[in-house]
Amino acid sequence: MDATDHSRSAGRRVLGSLGYRTLRAAAVSFWVMVIAFGLIRLAPGDPVLARLGAEAEPAAIERLRRQLRLDVDPVTQFVEYFLALLKGDLGVSIENGRRVSDIIATSLPVTLWVIAVTVVLGLCMAVPLAAWVATARHSSVPYIFRAVTSVFLAIPAFFTALIALIVLGVHYGVAPIIGYKPDFPENLYYVWLPALVICTHLVPVLSRVLYSSIKETMAEEFVETGVVRGVGRLRFYWYYLLRPSLAPSIVLLSYMVGVMVGATVIIETIFSLPGIGRALVGAVIGRDYPVVQGCVLLFGLAVVAINLVGDVLASWLDPRLELR
Amino acid sequence: MSGAPLPVPAPALVDVSGLRIGIRQGSREPLRVVDRADFQIGRGEIVGLVGESGSGKSMVCRSLIGTLPRRGAFIMSGRIEFAGHDLASIDERAWRDIRGKKIGYITQSALAGLNPVMTIEAQLREAIDQDLSANAESSAARAKGLLDVVRIRRPEVVLRQFPHQLSGGMRQRVIIASAIAPRPQLLVADEPTTGLDVTVQAEIMKLLRTIQADMGLSILLVSHDLALIDDVCEKVVVMHAGACIETAGVEQLAKPKHPYTAALQRSRIELAAPGQELVTIVGRPPAVGSWQAGCRFADRCDMARSDCRQGDHPPLRPIGQGRSSACLHWDRLP
Repeated sequence: MDATDHSRSAGRRVLGSLGYRTLRAAAVSFWVMVIAFGLIRLAPGDPVLARLGAEAEPAAIERLRRQLRLDVDPVTQFVEYFLALLKGDLGVSIENGRRVSDIIATSLPVTLWVIAVTVVLGLCMAVPLAAWVATARHSSVPYIFRAVTSVFLAIPAFFTALIALIVLGVHYGVAPIIGYKPDFPENLYYVWLPALVICTHLVPVLSRVLYSSIKETMAEEFVETGVVRGVGRLRFYWYYLLRPSLAPSIVLLSYMVGVMVGATVIIETIFSLPGIGRALVGAVIGRDYPVVQGCVLLFGLAVVAINLVGDVLASWLDPRLELR
Repeated sequence: MSGAPLPVPAPALVDVSGLRIGIRQGSREPLRVVDRADFQIGRGEIVGLVGESGSGKSMVCRSLIGTLPRRGAFIMSGRIEFAGHDLASIDERAWRDIRGKKIGYITQSALAGLNPVMTIEAQLREAIDQDLSANAESSAARAKGLLDVVRIRRPEVVLRQFPHQLSGGMRQRVIIASAIAPRPQLLVADEPTTGLDVTVQAEIMKLLRTIQADMGLSILLVSHDLALIDDVCEKVVVMHAGACIETAGVEQLAKPKHPYTAALQRSRIELAAPGQELVTIVGRPPAVGSWQAGCRFADRCDMARSDCRQGDHPPLRPIGQGRSSACLHWDRLP
């Protein structure tokens, strides 16, 4: 086999798979959009009634319905929505008349900050923890590790969040109870505690997966080669233990981040953060069709994009994994 | 009669005597996996270490590269003399100057022996020099030179590749290249052709022999394959149930002086007549931790007498012509 051709075709394969994945992402987004559009209309309730109230005059209701183009049949509504979307127009909120893109632009960064801080914090805790447990000399360390992580997993996040608010926010006053400032780095003050609360679930899952990957790696023969060569300590940890073990954890992390985008709703509600999760909940309650559609579409795109990033990162960490 | 006597060896490069290796099991008595390993490796000699799986060959290898602790094992007693050191008692700091530098190691599996996340060049440079920042150009050139030594064509391409892009034989060549990079005096090769097909096996063995002749190093070749040992080695050490039970020159081994070696010889596949059932050794090797008193082969041996089942495992005793046997009744063998 010719080696140069091999690496060249490998490069072509990566590009090809990126193209394929982009197409797939577009298809997924389209179906997410269709489902979001359909589901919210299937749910009982009426956006016009939600805005005007049950005692509104029928004439006023009829007027608003016509103004919002809710009087035409759903298929026409969808085609109009889709055509607008292709031009980048996500529509206008029924509830308050704000543009959906503006609502997303102000609330999405809050959620992204929470998630970014969670991921950084989670990795900073899970990676050293897993490496330490996997290389610990004392045989009781893995047992204690498993027991403690089980306890953390068993406690619901909202409960932890409330306790954390009461203890750290109210009693010690080291974290804010309410509010948010959008500018970096002040926003970190509002984000660190929610992130830490999510980490009480993220770190146990991540460190367990990583722990067993490292254990598997340690049983492999090349690790002995590293020991025999007398590779420096840090180099050994990175090239011989962590990097060959991290790929499954990174794929898992990207999946969990995808889930988190939706699951931050609870955390955002408890910590009163004006993030996209809260925007979505508000919109669903008010049957604010355009906002719901916009947010759900965004979630879909985010999940697809994050999984792609995770896969690319995993295949960079471990060249054995080829992008598919 | 047996073949010509071995020449009187110069002071051996490695002298293992009375080696005992145990595995820690918490508060209980350590589990003995090697008990009574005795053998020498002369300078420039290729010594084969043969035995069934579980006979303790790999543990003996690990004791020569100082990686027993990784498997929870330790040396209980005995000496391993190497170039003026007793490897059985030196500390980790002293090991760092010997392990990988004076004693090279070739892993068992060509497929799993290379780091999957590093390019070949990175791994060779790591083997050549720990100080990677210094002299990057000359160490890159040396990495290329090493691939020439192990006969890899188009080294400049291979250097940039990852292990999974190479064939098994190429990978084993790279492993050999990285093991000889620091110019060791001894190479420990633990079943270096596991998982390779027979033609590749032969090539790798030829390569090892060439390198041995060119560099004048000694090789300890571990294998369960007597045919392989016959081809390459000058001297053979046979292990059974944690003990060395016979050492002899490779031609002498045609006339074994231990019933276990005789049984091994009889069970060789390539010597079996076509259509005939393959000969196997009766019973199983005794499990580690349940070794009986006396000779550990006694239960599988048709020559065993009552004195075979008493006391400690019989020690390896010289029986003339430079060979040794641990059988009390070696003289009853043809």
